[in-house]
Amino acid sequence: MANLKIKGVSKSFGDQEVIRGVDLSVSHGEFLVFVGPSGCGKSTMLRLITGLEDVSEGRIFIDERDVTLEKPSKRGVAMVFQSYALFPHMTVEQNIGFGLRLSKVPKETISRKVAETAAILQVEDLLSRKPRQLSGGQRQRVAIGRSIIGNPKVFLFDEPLSNLDAALRVQMRLEIARLHKRLGTTVVYVTHDQTEAMTLADRIVVFNKGMIEQTGSPIELYERPVNKFVASFIGSPAMNFLDGELAPADGTIELRIGVASIKADRLSNMAVRPMRVAFGIRPEHIQVVDVGDGHLQAKVEIVEKLGSESVVYFQTEISQTPLVMRAPPGLPLAPGDNVGLRFDLDNMHLFGSDGRAILEA
Amino acid sequence: MADAASPSREFNPWPAAIFASLVILAMLFLAPTIGVLLSSIKTTRDIAFGDLWSIPSVLYLGNFEEVLFNPAVHRYLLNTLLVTVPATAASLALGVLGGYVFSKLPFRGSNLLFLALVSGMFFPPQVILIPLFRFFNTLGLIDTLWPIIFVHTALGIPICTLLMRNFFSTVPNALREAAILAGANEWQVLTKIALPLSVPALAVLATLQFTWIWNDFLWPLIFTQSDDKRTIMIGIVNLKGQYSVAWGVQGALSLVASVPTLVIFLFFQRYFIKGMTMGAVKG
Repeated sequence: MANLKIKGVSKSFGDQEVIRGVDLSVSHGEFLVFVGPSGCGKSTMLRLITGLEDVSEGRIFIDERDVTLEKPSKRGVAMVFQSYALFPHMTVEQNIGFGLRLSKVPKETISRKVAETAAILQVEDLLSRKPRQLSGGQRQRVAIGRSIIGNPKVFLFDEPLSNLDAALRVQMRLEIARLHKRLGTTVVYVTHDQTEAMTLADRIVVFNKGMIEQTGSPIELYERPVNKFVASFIGSPAMNFLDGELAPADGTIELRIGVASIKADRLSNMAVRPMRVAFGIRPEHIQVVDVGDGHLQAKVEIVEKLGSESVVYFQTEISQTPLVMRAPPGLPLAPGDNVGLRFDLDNMHLFGSDGRAILEA
Repeated sequence: MADAASPSREFNPWPAAIFASLVILAMLFLAPTIGVLLSSIKTTRDIAFGDLWSIPSVLYLGNFEEVLFNPAVHRYLLNTLLVTVPATAASLALGVLGGYVFSKLPFRGSNLLFLALVSGMFFPPQVILIPLFRFFNTLGLIDTLWPIIFVHTALGIPICTLLMRNFFSTVPNALREAAILAGANEWQVLTKIALPLSVPALAVLATLQFTWIWNDFLWPLIFTQSDDKRTIMIGIVNLKGQYSVAWGVQGALSLVASVPTLVIFLFFQRYFIKGMTMGAVKG
């Protein structure tokens, strides 16, 4: 059992508060991913867990033990750095065995454990090489090996794949998932790549400005974002937003977007006063219909053909930013075409002026 | 073809000018050494009749014989070694410690302290000469090697700290953090990670400090009086002879005295080159 609990943790550098009262609980064996834009505090949060930075306020528990004031090496955590941080003057073998050598483990035990670890990560043939003789993916494996050899209770990754090229990134992503399955350790993984987050995570934590915006499974965040920030951050291409207005009409409530007024069952049982809202719709929840039909008239700007699907950008009269749609690859659309767009209202999102979701999904 | 249109390629005077000035500089630097070398293998008679550049009539090794078998010279060389090695080691060690703290463990006001320390480089030695003499005189250390060791160690701290701090700053912080997570303390980070990566910087510093201290004339002159406490640079002057200047012997000793610095340079040279290539390859 190795769970991780973070209670009311804040961190300030000088008078700049970068983490503002974060509460979080990670259960044993869980794969938790921190996502958020640059500077949102996700990496700082990770460093607070390792103890490389001291918390300004709050407490951190690992395995029910308060480690807030504990030295980094005594917390039972290991971290894989974005830059790998391999020691350039040591061989792969020395890099992996570094921690064990520091704690004066007998030589035979070290070489046995290094061999085991190297086997797990398939770097047995590289043990006598120096880091500069390794490729990016190999360095990554060695860095992981150096972390897992000490049997950490919590395994931390700080954007580990961001230095790899696209193909290798996909491969290493898969290997990290496999490794997690095999070791069953609690993992906290920081990334700004939401695809990585969606594919790896049991649970995602979305950070923004030092606070948690939402915590939940990838699908939960995708389908039921609690606010506009999460809605726009999760999903690629991102959700479309249109300015609208909720107004009473004929005893029910209708949503006005530009000239279109939309009535939906989901709106009717809402008891709201007239207000400005942001209407959100994911690219896959838009359909092309004949001109004059549908909810909104638009003109095709660009069609990106990806093979398995196409991404179509529409110009509309009511929004500066183009509307994005995911379309089946065969859809006969060309730049300049005028079409009508229909929204799948069962999957629409509405956000109030404070950004909070106001429509129960 | 564009080249055919302008067959006369434009003459670029820069490489030629740079090459010519380098040759002239090299000759200017080497000339005195060659003069000394020529004098050291001439007899006194040869020196008296010829000029500095004249080729000796016979290859005379008597000057070297006189220098190498002179017990006083042995004493000078030993004294110089006793000063240079500890002072070089101590200033390097202090520079390493100071540089590490300034680069990796900054504290409130550390930048200001660093500036103050480095500004020590700009004090001319003449300013501190008399106070230091009186200070060591009070301690009863005049006419021993200790003041020379202390002063050279102290004067070496600014440059050593500056160089080491700058070099340690190129060692990524993630390496230190990775080592700390693996259980290393700050001392182990320094000795097992930072120092092994800083060999080129250490080699440059060791060479600089060794040469500078070995060749120093001023401080041994101030702090020592008796002949058996003198260092080699003063020894060269002492060998000048009572009634005449023994150019040949002095020349020979000058060459002998420059051998250790040359050896040190040749020994550390391979690390300089390693340092240059290390920076060239990302990794």
